[in-house]
Amino acid sequence: MNHDLLQAIQANVLSPALLFFVLGLLAAVLRSDLRFPEPLYVALTIYLLVAIGLKGGVAIAEAGWARVGLPTLAALLLGTVIPLWAYPILRFLGRFSAVDAAAIAAHYGSVSAVTFGAATQYLDRLGESYEAYASAFLAVMESPAILIGVLLGKLAARGSDTIRWSSISTALREAVLGRSVFLLVGALGIGALSGRAGMDQVGPFFTAPFQGVLALFLLEMGMVAGRRLGDLRKVGGFLVGFGMVMPVLHGALGVGVGDWCGLTVGGTTLMGVLAASASYIAAPAAIRLSLPDANPTYYLTAALVITFPFNIALGVPLYYELARRLVH
Amino acid sequence: MTIHPMQLVTIIGESLAREPILKLLREVGAHGWTFFEVSGSGRQGERTGEIPEYSNIQVEVIVPPAVAENLLNRLQHDFFPRFAMVAYLCEIRVLRAHKF
Repeated sequence: MNHDLLQAIQANVLSPALLFFVLGLLAAVLRSDLRFPEPLYVALTIYLLVAIGLKGGVAIAEAGWARVGLPTLAALLLGTVIPLWAYPILRFLGRFSAVDAAAIAAHYGSVSAVTFGAATQYLDRLGESYEAYASAFLAVMESPAILIGVLLGKLAARGSDTIRWSSISTALREAVLGRSVFLLVGALGIGALSGRAGMDQVGPFFTAPFQGVLALFLLEMGMVAGRRLGDLRKVGGFLVGFGMVMPVLHGALGVGVGDWCGLTVGGTTLMGVLAASASYIAAPAAIRLSLPDANPTYYLTAALVITFPFNIALGVPLYYELARRLVH
Repeated sequence: MTIHPMQLVTIIGESLAREPILKLLREVGAHGWTFFEVSGSGRQGERTGEIPEYSNIQVEVIVPPAVAENLLNRLQHDFFPRFAMVAYLCEIRVLRAHKF
């Protein structure tokens, strides 16, 4: 392995965030009685989404829409097209049913805010600056893939019976008004409207504790993933490979797009991370309601137990290293 | 004091079915219900209750027999094939029958 990449990975391995994730995994595997109540999980996600959104909103106000527009549009396109090739790969190489392939494709086109948060933490640790308005890319990449995935699933299932709530409008509602997208876009808007002066008022609450909250959240995600390790056997080798190969391909694509948009090394890394990440908050809720015939074990295991740990451990440093070479 | 016969339907299923269940309860004409966050285990695996994707809800609704039958029928046709879920019915007695 290349020396620089090894160093980039080493810089990540000893970060509190990743170590807490591993601690969570251990807690689950060793059957510790450690357990977070669901309301705490929900509270931590609300905090993280609002903190990420506010920071990005303030950055938009400072950078101006003109600079944010092009990369945000590129991010939106990236989120829209990823399911279009993920679907045939799953359907014809992975031999998944049409509705399962569509559901998994939706998760990989959509994004993970916590992976994004972990990546910003990684860049901070290295002292690498990045466009803080990248939160806007995160916000626009959550929904499109979910809609594309639901459309693919519906087109494939055309002719069979349809149930009342499984309509495109449900998907649209869930994808756009689901709690994660709603909060993120809302906080972005508040940050953009109130600007730096507003951020100075609420900033201390949303910036200083961010790293600590992220560490707690990753401890919880480690436990969630650890309890589901047994599902890896149920989903088969193809999906395990898919969950690690696709992020690398999408990460490289995202890095290319970020560079093309003229972003810095940090911003390009974040674009790569977003393209590589898979959703496990917005997408599962929307897909469960819009494509109820898809098996949740496949998409949840792929997004949460395979791709999420892969990205926070190896993916983030890898996309950073790619970005460093391409942009410099 | 007069007590009236009524039926209690209990539904235990995955949290992500919450909205469709709510919609169904309104459609069959239930007047009130209670949701609980629960965890447990069943034929479709463990529901650890730590995050909404892996937790269960329990719904209790008191309704007249005709509504209860309609509700269970709808659950059987539209919900059981698609969601991890069980439902059962108990005969109960209530005060103030007009509430249900």
